[in-house]
Amino acid sequence: MTETDPTEQPVSQAPKRRGLGGLLAHQESGLVLVILLMGLGLTVFGALNPIKPKSLTDVPSTSSVMLIDGEGMARPTGSLPRTEIRGFRVTYGSGGSSDFLTEDGWWYDSDTNQLSRQREVNAFLNKANLVLIVNNASFIAVMAVGMTGVIILAGIDLSVGSIYGLAGIVGAMVLTQLPADMSVALAVPIGLALCVTVGALCGLANGSMTVGLRVHPFVITLGMMAALRGLTLVLPSEIYNRQSISNFPESFVGGFFRAELFGVQPVPILFMLVVAGCGWFVLSRTVFGRRVFAIGGNETAAGYAGIPVGKVKILVYTITGALSGLSACLAIGYYGSGETNAGNAYELQVIAATVIGGASLMGGRGTAIGAVLGAIVIQLINNAILILKIDQSYNQIVMGAAIIIAVVIDQTKQRLAAKRG
Amino acid sequence: MAHRADQTTLLRATGVSKRFGITQALDAVSVEFRRGEVHALMGENGAGKSTLGKVIAGLHKQDSGTVEIEGHTLEPGSLDGAFAAGIRIVHQELAQCPNLSVAENLCLHAIPKRGLTVDFGAMRERAARLVHTIEPSIDVDKPLGRLSPGHRQICQIAAALDEEGPHGGAKVIVFDEPTSSLSIHETDRLLGIARDLASSGVTVIYVSHRMSEIFACCDRVSVLRDGRYVATSVVADIDEPTLVEQMIGRRISTPGAKAADALADAAGIDHHTPENAPVKLRVRGMSSPGKVRDASLEVRAGEVLGIGGLVGAGRSELLDAIFGLDPLATGSVEVDGVDVSARGCRDSIGAGVGYVPEDRRMQGLFMNLGIDENILAPMMPELANAGVRNLTAEQREARQRVQRFQIKTASLKETTPDELSGGNQQKLLIARWMRDTTKVLLLDEPTRGIDVGTKAEVYRLVQEAAADGLAVLLVSSEMPELLALSDRILVMAGGQIRGELTGADMTQVNVMTLATQE
Repeated sequence: MTETDPTEQPVSQAPKRRGLGGLLAHQESGLVLVILLMGLGLTVFGALNPIKPKSLTDVPSTSSVMLIDGEGMARPTGSLPRTEIRGFRVTYGSGGSSDFLTEDGWWYDSDTNQLSRQREVNAFLNKANLVLIVNNASFIAVMAVGMTGVIILAGIDLSVGSIYGLAGIVGAMVLTQLPADMSVALAVPIGLALCVTVGALCGLANGSMTVGLRVHPFVITLGMMAALRGLTLVLPSEIYNRQSISNFPESFVGGFFRAELFGVQPVPILFMLVVAGCGWFVLSRTVFGRRVFAIGGNETAAGYAGIPVGKVKILVYTITGALSGLSACLAIGYYGSGETNAGNAYELQVIAATVIGGASLMGGRGTAIGAVLGAIVIQLINNAILILKIDQSYNQIVMGAAIIIAVVIDQTKQRLAAKRG
Repeated sequence: MAHRADQTTLLRATGVSKRFGITQALDAVSVEFRRGEVHALMGENGAGKSTLGKVIAGLHKQDSGTVEIEGHTLEPGSLDGAFAAGIRIVHQELAQCPNLSVAENLCLHAIPKRGLTVDFGAMRERAARLVHTIEPSIDVDKPLGRLSPGHRQICQIAAALDEEGPHGGAKVIVFDEPTSSLSIHETDRLLGIARDLASSGVTVIYVSHRMSEIFACCDRVSVLRDGRYVATSVVADIDEPTLVEQMIGRRISTPGAKAADALADAAGIDHHTPENAPVKLRVRGMSSPGKVRDASLEVRAGEVLGIGGLVGAGRSELLDAIFGLDPLATGSVEVDGVDVSARGCRDSIGAGVGYVPEDRRMQGLFMNLGIDENILAPMMPELANAGVRNLTAEQREARQRVQRFQIKTASLKETTPDELSGGNQQKLLIARWMRDTTKVLLLDEPTRGIDVGTKAEVYRLVQEAAADGLAVLLVSSEMPELLALSDRILVMAGGQIRGELTGADMTQVNVMTLATQE
């Protein structure tokens, strides 16, 4: 009716909310806050209830102390940098000697002439504990990044735990046959390729059946969860008559997945960071990722807009399977063995991580970074139960409550946001 | 209108205000409803007419103001209170279980029992008594979801009139946009029911924006505009232009003309038939089991081919089949000489077909994504480098389209489509397909549920598209719109094309005659 000059139309970017409110508006920053608060609480508790030194030994004045280096050779005190000291050799006046290794927590203080086993440390805030939390989280987080894609699609994958189990056991069965002195450059790619391929094939089966047979993914993946777990139990017992398979090439375990860096074993964490980064990039910066969101938001409309709905879905399930396989490979490398019951009930933890990370089971919403943070929250809860010396049996109760609380908080936030308009 | 309503006031809304977020849906509205009248609430979309109906029925709680029935003030926002006072609402998404039978639906509030088990005989009998007084052909054993929309609505009316219900008979029935999904025959039937109810002393509040229905069945009409009360008039004393003026607040310059005609004129639509223009869309022998039978058509560049017919004639199904969304469809489709028969909609899109489907919310919009991604959904791959999005190009393109199509949005990225008005949602979906490569545009009910002002804009967009050399295939149930926009009209009935109308033959009567052939 009225002729308006098109250039007059204002298309302003919405004013960015600033300050704390703006930060809290993002699911991720909310989670970071939760993690920091939990960490703070546990730190305070950990400081009040520190891990006590276990023993304190005065070195007899008639004895001499030497350092032990990486090769196990004795060196005079002061000849090695702190980080290269592997232990202390006390030679008694009587002629005998004993080694006190740093591995076992021993340290020699030349000022007091005392050998002490661990100084008093914060039960939560110490390097070993923090790395342990994040390492444990990384196995879940890698799968949760894939699960995020599935849940954005308004789908679900209950079979991730079983895929993890199967991929791990298949990887282990092959790795145990490889020569013990195989090089890193060969053993690691073989292990990765095997586990990821097994996982991807399982995911491909999930996706193809869901799309091709038009059955709800809940049903398909529930069936796959049982079937794949069965396969995991059958395979090693048929072939090796064992439920646990170890003896991998050393290069695969200590040489790579359990490799030490700065006194910790960070390889699973590094993988998690890379997967999270890739997940973020794919979901937010690629056409494929945005199609996942579009399908989850309105599958019918996606069809009308020419989006290849079936292909996208199959690919998402395949990627989730592949990531479950990757996670299994990290785990067998880190722990040095494959177990038939590995990954049991992991689907619960993975879905919990995804949902706590802000993905909506109605579809259309979720982030890879959120899923990783969600996995860390879950491990923090596990760790808290350990540190607070609560019976491990309560773990599941707390976990279940955490899922429900997370979803309720999230939905309340959504409703409030909708009301604000 | 040969009907005399009682002159006493039955229901009175006084100073009712209601706010949704930043939108003032109702602003101190006062209306009186008399006993035994059909009282229309009219207005553009967003005028507040539906909100007022829902406040009266207790579905919404007003922020201030009162609703009184026979002198008693109703508790605000209490559906039970309104129900007990004899107020019923017939509303599309209300309290029906499509998986249960008609009988079960009608007796849901008090299922007849024999001991611990359901007395199916008594239930069936009671349901039949209720529903058959209005429509004897309804089978009460059928699942409600399998009935036509019109019959489903009749079941709601029957339930509303249930005098054996927990609170006795109805005094007021609110019809909220009752005909939006009904065929013309069903609409007539409904209007008759509304009149019958009024003559039996029930007050009918009829929320609608369909002009013809107001004049066909209402005694008085109250107009709302932007949440404010404008006027109440006796229908017999008012004409369409005056009503339209009340609704949109500005006078339309062609008195006597149909409102939509006036809008079409305002948009400057002229009929031209480009005889020598190349054929951009050629459909041959399109069939789909149970939906479309042997449909063939051609649309030339710059031509608007209208498809008329009643609801259920297979028009949307034909568009789906042409676009490649119907896997069972057979027949050939040629777009600008390229054969895209039965190869799926991605090939059609690649060949230059755009499709704005009928149901914006269900088939068109992604409510979880921003305006930019909603507009760019089909062309994101073209803007991307090897699958990685080019954010700069996307922003430029989206901004351009938003400005060209005058989509009123607060932001490109942060705003989601559910925050837009219906008209802007529709413009967004049209903008989605208006690309340099688009040669054929399929439009299904492009002005359904959008306000009068935006309709004119959509008409102008259709006309511009044709002027740019696009072939436009337009499905519309609004007769004046179809007649005004189309260069030629095909009329469908029962899944078949029944005839073609050109030039002076394009009249409402001719379209109806063909549409009712079956």
